Amino acid sequence: MGVVVGPRVIDAGASLLSVLISPVAVAAGYPSPAQDYFDGRIDLNEHLIKDVTSTYVVRVSGESMAGAGISDGDELIVNRALEPVDGSVVVAVLDGELTIKRLRITGAGVVLQAENPAYPDIRVPSLSDLVVWGVATRCLHVV
Amino acid sequence: MTKPAVMRHMPQIAHVDVNCFYASAERAFNPSLEGRPVIVLSNNDGCAVTRSPEAKALGIPMGEPWFKIAPRAKQWGLVALSSNYELYGDISARVMELLGRYSAWLEVYSIDEAFLGVKGTPHELLALGRDMKATVRRNVGVPVCVGIAPTKTLAKLANKWAKNNPAFDGVCHWDSVPAADREGLMRRLSVIEIWGVATHLTKRLNAIGIHSILDLSRADPVMIRDRFSVVMMRTVLELQGTPCIPMEEERIGRDQLIFSRSFATPITTAAGIRQVMSVYGQQASARLAKHGLQAKVLTAFAGTSHFNPKDTSYPSVCVPLPMPTADPVLLTKAAHALLPRICEGIRYARAGIMVTDLRPSGNQAPLALFENPHEERHVGTLLEDITRRYGRGSIGLGHGGIRGGPDWTMKRDMLSPRYTTHWDELPLVKAA
Repeated sequence: MGVVVGPRVIDAGASLLSVLISPVAVAAGYPSPAQDYFDGRIDLNEHLIKDVTSTYVVRVSGESMAGAGISDGDELIVNRALEPVDGSVVVAVLDGELTIKRLRITGAGVVLQAENPAYPDIRVPSLSDLVVWGVATRCLHVV
Repeated sequence: MTKPAVMRHMPQIAHVDVNCFYASAERAFNPSLEGRPVIVLSNNDGCAVTRSPEAKALGIPMGEPWFKIAPRAKQWGLVALSSNYELYGDISARVMELLGRYSAWLEVYSIDEAFLGVKGTPHELLALGRDMKATVRRNVGVPVCVGIAPTKTLAKLANKWAKNNPAFDGVCHWDSVPAADREGLMRRLSVIEIWGVATHLTKRLNAIGIHSILDLSRADPVMIRDRFSVVMMRTVLELQGTPCIPMEEERIGRDQLIFSRSFATPITTAAGIRQVMSVYGQQASARLAKHGLQAKVLTAFAGTSHFNPKDTSYPSVCVPLPMPTADPVLLTKAAHALLPRICEGIRYARAGIMVTDLRPSGNQAPLALFENPHEERHVGTLLEDITRRYGRGSIGLGHGGIRGGPDWTMKRDMLSPRYTTHWDELPLVKAA
């Protein structure tokens, strides 16, 4: 048994190509067929955060978005670079507070919708009156 | 008539900086601070280091001690915050990363400002500046201003203009402004307003009839070099549109490193100062190692408060190190040379160390005889690894070690949450 680690450098013409050797114990004799497929473990950052620079994580306080599967205490991944569109779950600035709502842009106007019948919708005169802080892309819900 | 391509593509320099950086970083996560006077206090809640425009309008000077402001804070509706270095550091890194997308030639000049090499027609450059401003504001959440000009000095000036004159809407491309207006600005501004002219030089410039930036820009560079310095000559040439201050990959005014801080509770014993010196010795070691540097000289100092005129004491000691080193044990030992000069019973309000005469490590191989045993055993790297893994204060050398929370650590009573770096302190969004 031997453990192979560390990169090996192959001189491929002008450029040096570095090859990652997977840190798997290699049995002397018969190589594991799975080894060819080792590509690193799943990295949640890579899958859940598309743009690190523009992404923040916030924590939800309250139940007004329960219908969208967002509960009190959940964390939201919020991307500030995204353009909010009709249907986006947005963090908006309302009365100096960060507030989570569903954005509805229709012919009849702009509405910040709660996803819980116990909470009222908020009508906004126009999109330019609304300060959208970011667009939520994922909810980390404790099950 | 089209200009020759060469003219169109002369590289220019964009200077970008965040408006009232610390206050803006706080506002990005606490919108209730918008429109209110906000100040951010220095280490240990000492004095105002950042003032929002509303706080400036109240007449609070830069550097005003907090104890002088505090009595009126409530009446003003003023919000004072402790320096949240982790937040500012993260926001700064985001701004710089974003700016780096606009140019391969980015010089991070300070925590909140950068120079970028940019190219294009005046129209394209103005559009680029506006895009940078809008994108940083939207993606990161803080406001910036942009100045674009042929030289760094002019780019800084253009930025200042963009900040102070609302007509620019935060973006000024120097060459696009009519020459008469540029001259008018330079005539109005004193030389002290220009980047690179220190206060003490202003008098000497005035003595030879140079008062405004315009005067300086029209001075003879050779005369200026003879009477002042090459540095001042560069400023003149830059004002005339000739780039002379090169872009640096990393600005290392790093011929010195300083670790200094004022204490929440004054230290009155040599034993207390000893502990402080031990911590700074280790911090200096870690910083030097990070930059691949070694120091040859260490200065240690302490002092009583400026606000307490009796019983003053400002001991300091300069220790030449036996060889260039980044060894934590050696640095700590050197810093302890201050201890015999500490007067027991005096209330020391601050202390620090400075390491100078820095050089790249391994540049000069020391004689084996003088090689440091601790460096060889990687004590510094080990301490660093443990600190990274288990947090600051989890391990330390000797007196700087793991004693229970010393009472001289920074006072930060008005600290906002570390919104972006601590899972327990995430910004709250209301679902109500």
